[in-house]
Amino acid sequence: MTPPGPDRRTTELAAPFVELRTALGRVLVGQDDAATGLTLALLAEQHAYLEGPPGCGKSELAAALAALSGARTHTLVFHRDIRETDLLGDVLLSRHHHRGHERLRRELIPGPLLQAEVALLEDLPRSPGEALGPLLRILAERHALGQTLPLESAVATGPLEQVEAPIDPLEPGQLDRFAVQLRLPGLLTGGLFDEAAVLLEREAARQPARRAVPAHTFTTGDTAPRPAVMGTVIRNAAQRAAAALQVEPRTLDAYHRLLDRLRQRTADESASGDRLMSDRSFSSAALRLVRAHAFLRGAPAAAPRDLGAIRYMVAHRLPDEVQEAFDHILEELLGDPPNVTMTETGAQMPGAQSQGDDSDGAAAASPASDSWIDDQADLPAPPTLFGKPPPPAQVDPLLRALVGRIERGRIDPDTDPGGQPRGYRPLRDLDELIDADLIEALLFAEGRLPGAPRTFERKRKSAGGAVAVLRDISASMAGRLTVWSSQVVLGILRVAARRRMRVGYVEFHHRALPHQVGGRLLHRSYSRLAEQAGQAKAVGQTNYEAPLRTALEGLRGGSGRNRHVVLLTDGLPIIGDTTVRRERQLARRLGVALHTVFLGNGDCPPVLDDISLETGGLRFCGRPLAGGGLRLEER
Amino acid sequence: MSDLTPLRDLLDHHVVGHDEVKTALLLALITREHIYVEGPPGTAKTRLAEVAAKGSELDFFFYQLHRDTRLAELVGDIVLERRKVKTDGAAPGTAGEAERIHQRIEPGGLLTAEVAVLDDISRAPGEALNVLLRILNERRFGAAPIPLMAAIATGNPMDDEYYNEPLDPANLDRFALQLRVSGLIQSGVDDAKTLIDRFAAGSVVEQPDPEPVTDRTTLDALNQRMVEVEVGAAVRAALLDILRTLVLEFECNETNSLLTDRTFLVKAIKILRGAALLAGRSAVDLPDLAALSWMTTFRVPPEAHEALPRIIGRVSRQIQAV
Repeated sequence: MTPPGPDRRTTELAAPFVELRTALGRVLVGQDDAATGLTLALLAEQHAYLEGPPGCGKSELAAALAALSGARTHTLVFHRDIRETDLLGDVLLSRHHHRGHERLRRELIPGPLLQAEVALLEDLPRSPGEALGPLLRILAERHALGQTLPLESAVATGPLEQVEAPIDPLEPGQLDRFAVQLRLPGLLTGGLFDEAAVLLEREAARQPARRAVPAHTFTTGDTAPRPAVMGTVIRNAAQRAAAALQVEPRTLDAYHRLLDRLRQRTADESASGDRLMSDRSFSSAALRLVRAHAFLRGAPAAAPRDLGAIRYMVAHRLPDEVQEAFDHILEELLGDPPNVTMTETGAQMPGAQSQGDDSDGAAAASPASDSWIDDQADLPAPPTLFGKPPPPAQVDPLLRALVGRIERGRIDPDTDPGGQPRGYRPLRDLDELIDADLIEALLFAEGRLPGAPRTFERKRKSAGGAVAVLRDISASMAGRLTVWSSQVVLGILRVAARRRMRVGYVEFHHRALPHQVGGRLLHRSYSRLAEQAGQAKAVGQTNYEAPLRTALEGLRGGSGRNRHVVLLTDGLPIIGDTTVRRERQLARRLGVALHTVFLGNGDCPPVLDDISLETGGLRFCGRPLAGGGLRLEER
Repeated sequence: MSDLTPLRDLLDHHVVGHDEVKTALLLALITREHIYVEGPPGTAKTRLAEVAAKGSELDFFFYQLHRDTRLAELVGDIVLERRKVKTDGAAPGTAGEAERIHQRIEPGGLLTAEVAVLDDISRAPGEALNVLLRILNERRFGAAPIPLMAAIATGNPMDDEYYNEPLDPANLDRFALQLRVSGLIQSGVDDAKTLIDRFAAGSVVEQPDPEPVTDRTTLDALNQRMVEVEVGAAVRAALLDILRTLVLEFECNETNSLLTDRTFLVKAIKILRGAALLAGRSAVDLPDLAALSWMTTFRVPPEAHEALPRIIGRVSRQIQAV
């Protein structure tokens, strides 16, 4: 079969989108991926989610897409008080007199969002669940209040998922409504100094903007209004043409193999990040994007290389490590003929194998240390220091107690004015009318409601929680104590991994040695920490102050009660403030529980008791057993 | 000297000391950036803001935040509008009268002011302030631009004794300029003596309302001139070196700092231009880089902030040597 030659009309239709891509690329410095991803999203009529650190230009890029595309747009800034009516439209309350009684009916009149072709949803995760549920449904169905919406793409922005952010992160299922998911790096914090220099130069060369009303929105590009590069008719024609593009059979074949690889890698990695490969996204949406990719480069049909469009989808669908390897995986897949046999060095990299029997190969290639995340699996073999491993530490009592404390913090959502509405409660204060049921508030104001209107009860769950493990690696911890404390750390990591809690790991002697991932103390890279925990070497002297300070700084700013620090040590602090008075105070103020575990034969330093008692933490001690093992029990 | 010398003199006349805050205030008015001043009670934070606003004949909005602050108190009243409409009667038995109910905000307070003083911002609940800070950031409410030039927020130190919730760092980021002040008497500087002498002389017992010495037109003109201030390659290279030092040597990252591109690559240029204008120059010079330390106060770890003058000095010498 010969693919049809490039249709002249196709090329004509693609040109405005190529222009759009170029123009978007000029809006921000160093964010080319995001520009391409957004262009593809609009062309494939998919929704997009942009996330990144504050001030990296998410909103700017989204606004530029809206302006350049010439689409009818509506911007909605989400906040905790956003209501259904802001999203959908005004309430229509109709009254009918019917056989002597009055009948009230509540309807909605479609608002501007429902008439938009490109909808900008800023700070989406700040919205309460009440508003988000219907909105996401409408986005998916493109149908509301009995009419089909003109909506082509919704572009949402949100902050990076961080402990510090006082908002609940969106769930992967909610994010799945956004086919395109893009993560924008910060130029400075991402170390992209060359791009930063370009941006500085551009800002310095900025032309005077003569305007009566000074504009102050953040722009990194020209502040002049951006003229549209296309109109709705052209845009829609291009979208239709892109959707009708053929997908070559070899592309489909490569896509199947790509999905296999991604599935394997996702199952292999006990890595951090979400994993959700839904049918919805990876069938229709993915192929629309692949077609759009081909269309954009003027190809007559989607070739295997157009599978590159998939990488704009993966930010919340694949674990971080797999995302990083995505380009590599795809490259190897496209480069490799399907029948190469596995070489012995190939075992290092599952992506180095190809299709066919590679499911076995990949399983063999996955390091054994990944299996510990499974609750049923055994712990990894303890590091051998004397040739023969010592009998294992009995860490269960500690873990059980810790799990109890963690669960206690998770069960009941706290009442929180910034939380999500989870029911109604009576009005306590006239001020709360703003958060009351609209109709009831109106009837109340008219004096037609016998009682007070109901208002939302807002609650917030302690999202995930966090645990930081501080492990003494001073010289006295050498030998069996090192092995045992590794086992305790692994046990805690396992508990945390099962609950998707963020973990931090700080080894300390006279200094604190935090093991950060991506510059953060708290993260979800459980397997990396597990590996680290097996390698600790005992040196130096003990200092409690430095590690506690490090951990508390890392936990600072987070909300919720479910924050824990576990301090593992075998001796008295010698260096730093030995009473850690200030750290105890800080922990109390932050509501962080400091649990202490004392290992070894000596007497437990009284300061450990003080630390735990003051902060509501657990107290444990580990006694070596006659047979050579270690038993942990409450002090 | 710049066009704002009269305003500076007015500030000096009404408040003793606090040189840095005064300069930063003027900088905020020129660059149209918001400013956050943190310091113990009674350090003339609010007074300075008030004098600056009245001295330049600007509409002034003052609000004392508290822990139950709600949006409506800041932006105006929330109005429920009801309009009678006719229904089409599509569904059986629905023909007849109906009411369309619409919720909107009658602009007031922050939405109509040119200078806003938000006192004790650290007392307001973080999440409830979200919309307020968003307005400060975008300077528009809904589709309409607001006349606000600068918001001046004050807060008490986040030490234990003041029982404040620490401000969400992302919220603090809305304030491009950030300063920490201490009381004159407590820090024992020479100005303390001047202050006491002044009160002893009885000359300021009755604080008169400041007379306007400048106006919005002057400020607008200065703001327009800002873009003409040249930012040369040497200054840009120095700025980038300083930022690189913060990231690489002081390990500022997304967790411990707010080293955002918006603030340090875009707004920094504005601030530098403003500083040059305030010093009466038509091009940014290396000494103007000192204004950067008004941007880092709460954005980078304390040790990095304290080291900043040293870093600026070192980088400036290197650049000059080249």
